[in-house]
Amino acid sequence: MRRVISVLLLVFTVFLAFSAPYNTTIKVLAWDDALTQALKEGIPDFEKQTGIKVVLELIPSGNLLQKIGVSVSTDKSDYDLVTVDEPYVPALAHLFTPFNNWSTGKVYKKPNLSVFAPNAFDAAQWMGTFVGMPVNANVYIWITRKDLINDPKNKQDFKSKYGYNLGVPKTFKELRDMAEFFSTKGIYGFAPFTKQAEGTTAEAIFMFEGFGTRPLEIVNNRVVVALDDKKAVEAINFYKELLKFSPVGALDMGHSERIAAFNQGKVFTMFQWPALVPQHEDPNSSLVAGKITYSAPPVGSAGASAIRGCWVLGMPNASKNKDAAAEFAYWWASLETGTKLVPKGFTPARSDILLNPTMNKDRPWFKAIFDSMKGSIARPRFPQYAETSQIIRDNWLAAISGKVTPESAVKKMKDDLNDLLKKLGY
Amino acid sequence: MKSKHFRKRFLTTLLIIIILLIVFIELTPIIVVFMNSFKRDIDIWARGPFYFSFNFDSYKSVLSNRDFLLSLRNSIIVAVVSTVISIIVGAMASYGITRYVFRSKKLIAYSFLIFRMVPQISLVIPLFMMFNQFQLRDTLTGIILSHMSFNIPYVVWLLLPFFAAIPRDFEEAARIDGASEGGVFWRIFLPLVGPGIVVSAIFCFLMSWNEFLYALILSSTNARTAPVAVNGLLGQYAPKWGQLSAAGTIMLIPVLIITITLQKYIIKGLSAGGIKG
Amino acid sequence: MKRNYNFKHWIFILPALVLVISILVYPIFYSIYMSAYDWNLFHSDAKKFLGFENYLSLFKDREFLHSLWLQLGFIVIALPIETILGFFVAILLNRDGKFYDVVRALLLLPVFVLPVISGLTWRMLLQPEYGMMSFILEKLGFGVKAWLAEPNFAYSMVIIQDIWRMWPFMFMFIYAGLSGMPREYIEAAQIDGAGFWKKITKIVIPYLRPTIATALLLRLIDALRIFSEVYVMTGGGPGNSTLLLSLYINKQAFEFFNIGYAAAMGVILLIVALVIAFFIVRGNIQFEGEKG
Repeated sequence: MRRVISVLLLVFTVFLAFSAPYNTTIKVLAWDDALTQALKEGIPDFEKQTGIKVVLELIPSGNLLQKIGVSVSTDKSDYDLVTVDEPYVPALAHLFTPFNNWSTGKVYKKPNLSVFAPNAFDAAQWMGTFVGMPVNANVYIWITRKDLINDPKNKQDFKSKYGYNLGVPKTFKELRDMAEFFSTKGIYGFAPFTKQAEGTTAEAIFMFEGFGTRPLEIVNNRVVVALDDKKAVEAINFYKELLKFSPVGALDMGHSERIAAFNQGKVFTMFQWPALVPQHEDPNSSLVAGKITYSAPPVGSAGASAIRGCWVLGMPNASKNKDAAAEFAYWWASLETGTKLVPKGFTPARSDILLNPTMNKDRPWFKAIFDSMKGSIARPRFPQYAETSQIIRDNWLAAISGKVTPESAVKKMKDDLNDLLKKLGY
Repeated sequence: MKSKHFRKRFLTTLLIIIILLIVFIELTPIIVVFMNSFKRDIDIWARGPFYFSFNFDSYKSVLSNRDFLLSLRNSIIVAVVSTVISIIVGAMASYGITRYVFRSKKLIAYSFLIFRMVPQISLVIPLFMMFNQFQLRDTLTGIILSHMSFNIPYVVWLLLPFFAAIPRDFEEAARIDGASEGGVFWRIFLPLVGPGIVVSAIFCFLMSWNEFLYALILSSTNARTAPVAVNGLLGQYAPKWGQLSAAGTIMLIPVLIITITLQKYIIKGLSAGGIKG
Repeated sequence: MKRNYNFKHWIFILPALVLVISILVYPIFYSIYMSAYDWNLFHSDAKKFLGFENYLSLFKDREFLHSLWLQLGFIVIALPIETILGFFVAILLNRDGKFYDVVRALLLLPVFVLPVISGLTWRMLLQPEYGMMSFILEKLGFGVKAWLAEPNFAYSMVIIQDIWRMWPFMFMFIYAGLSGMPREYIEAAQIDGAGFWKKITKIVIPYLRPTIATALLLRLIDALRIFSEVYVMTGGGPGNSTLLLSLYINKQAFEFFNIGYAAAMGVILLIVALVIAFFIVRGNIQFEGEKG
């Protein structure tokens, strides 16, 4: 009897081994940070379940576009999946297979769009088509010092001066008031992002959209310059106001400077990307660990304008292994994978994980991500995004630093954008 | 008489003070790097420039950072290999140019000098495309090749006068003894240009060790060299000045040792065509 | 010396030549080829032949002209200061003795400090509130400033960084020239002799002219292609105030991915460098193997 069972077992295992749904290898190119490192740890499990061997190549996000540019073309691709930062989706859209055409998945089911955080899928959209699948919910969230808010003296002083309660700033006006208030208390009210980098463009768009305008718009499938002079000037003036309450060197702040200033306990409130939040909570590099509350960003007169920057998984048209690649994408998006890998540094794109109370116990910013996603917006959608961003950034910086008046900066921004569109034949 | 003596002493003292001041100013940034390498990141940006608490935390972090160690290993391999190959082929070429008479001799000699002056940024764009085509991107071979593009011309040009200075008799004597062409080069000439080889080795090594642009563009994870990795410490983090200083100190050690101990060779090398990689 | 027509010399020259042709000469031609196209990295299969149009658009590109201007300004400001400093310190230090030997060795250190470390260190020194240099400047009454946040200061600091690093290079060169000077000249260069200025201008400078010219031209080549220090120190910012030519080329090529356009700029820079190189070779450097 025992022998029969062991033979049966053997047969069964052999059967299983040969019946693994796939027997192939896929190559995946992704950026390198805590999220993808965590993903790497989950891969052996995926390989066992599907029989698909995964070669996951992680490279610094700064090198990623170059790498895609030279390894993926319309007729040839070294990878079966690549990750793209949201603003560059339009530039690469022509290389990818639309999400609707991805297979349904044998081992992992193709997820329904409704499981993703609100607006996440917009990150993958270009000209009305979803050209990929978002893999994280990456968006501006707002971080505020709760110890400062809860201080009774601060509360009382603020109330008597401004007539309403001190708290997490919910509108641009409250942000301004509170920033001003704390600047009289020896705390910088706000930390801007002003380095010659993408973050500065994000700030500009955050403000513009908050005041109800945007640099580029797509009208009847054509890209046109749409910036409204009056609203744009308002936005610039408002940001200049905030700069008054910002740290020394406010015109040269990038991620490092902002994190350093906030972690020194010198800043009341500012935006942050979720991936960088853990550094504020690390007692080894932060004097304010445990003293932070997370929320969606304050809202301008025109509504919420949290800048979104989801990573999008694209499947090159030239991939020869699309079914296996889709399985990997669906595994990445699954509830089990997310739940298992979050403790290792993974950030999900799924609403159910972001809203899960257990998850929020150690990561109180997950709920804030969800809330921010609800009001999230994209930066200008345009194939030549880098140049667009450069124009916005240059003119924005010229205006907020006082080198030129807001009016002439806005005019020049529009002229430069029009020149760019013309140069590119739009 | 006495006042003149006094004046002279005064001037000498003044001179020494000025010189010490200049030396101090020149060394301050290096000293700051060294001092900061013994502080923790957070102490540097949270407690002002003069707070000092001696500890090895920054070194510990850097030396347990696998990415940095890999990049350091890459840097050493790239610098050594590109130096060795450049010197071998460069010395051969230099020998070939000086010890034979042929028509295009002058053209070739000057070409190598001109090659040395090509700006890296002009070269890195086509190299980027070529390396992608030949699968050399992000490989040590690729970085080594790119460094050879400035090291070989340098060696060729630097060694020309050394080879030219050797009297003809040596060669004739060796030939009479029946040495082959290769034998003459390897056994007679190479040892005779020893000082030249030392100079070129120092400079090739330093230029390769200091090089940043090629490594930045032509590598991503596998072939990243230490200068690029060090710059990476200032990415999306609270500034890791302590670790950066520790890594910087580690990278400066070979440079400082070479500069101080081999100073007499260096001036000769400087005049042979700039110093930057 | 025997005439050698059996091409033995090529056996020695070929390895170097083949390597240099494949990693230097060929890329240059490839670059010229690229510069004739409207070529975006993401649309390599849709590149358009333009002929010289990239070169023409360059001179309408304000950013290009601006970066060229910054590059020239950098050279015009930094190099004379480095030369003057190097010259006078060489005269000061043109003395014998252990003390002076040590001083000379120490002064040479900054020249070989990795450009990346130099740029990063200066960035660290200039951080507001905790940077050593900012602290000193604050105590000197300049106020609390983020030096790298203000366009003119940032540009000045980039130049000062270069002067700090590279004047000892000029010094070493000039010192080497000075120490080779005949005896009667050397006395003229003593600081405490009478008619100091006269001797300097009438004797020392004319004698050192070829040396200084060579050193300057070598520095010029280096200054034309400066990249790493500035890239890590300011990244071209704030705004575009330190976006020197090589940084702009890098941006066009590897951030905007306009590789055809960037290649055209690279070719322009290459031509400028080669013209300068030509002058170095012609006026000042002699191929010593020529006579042999």
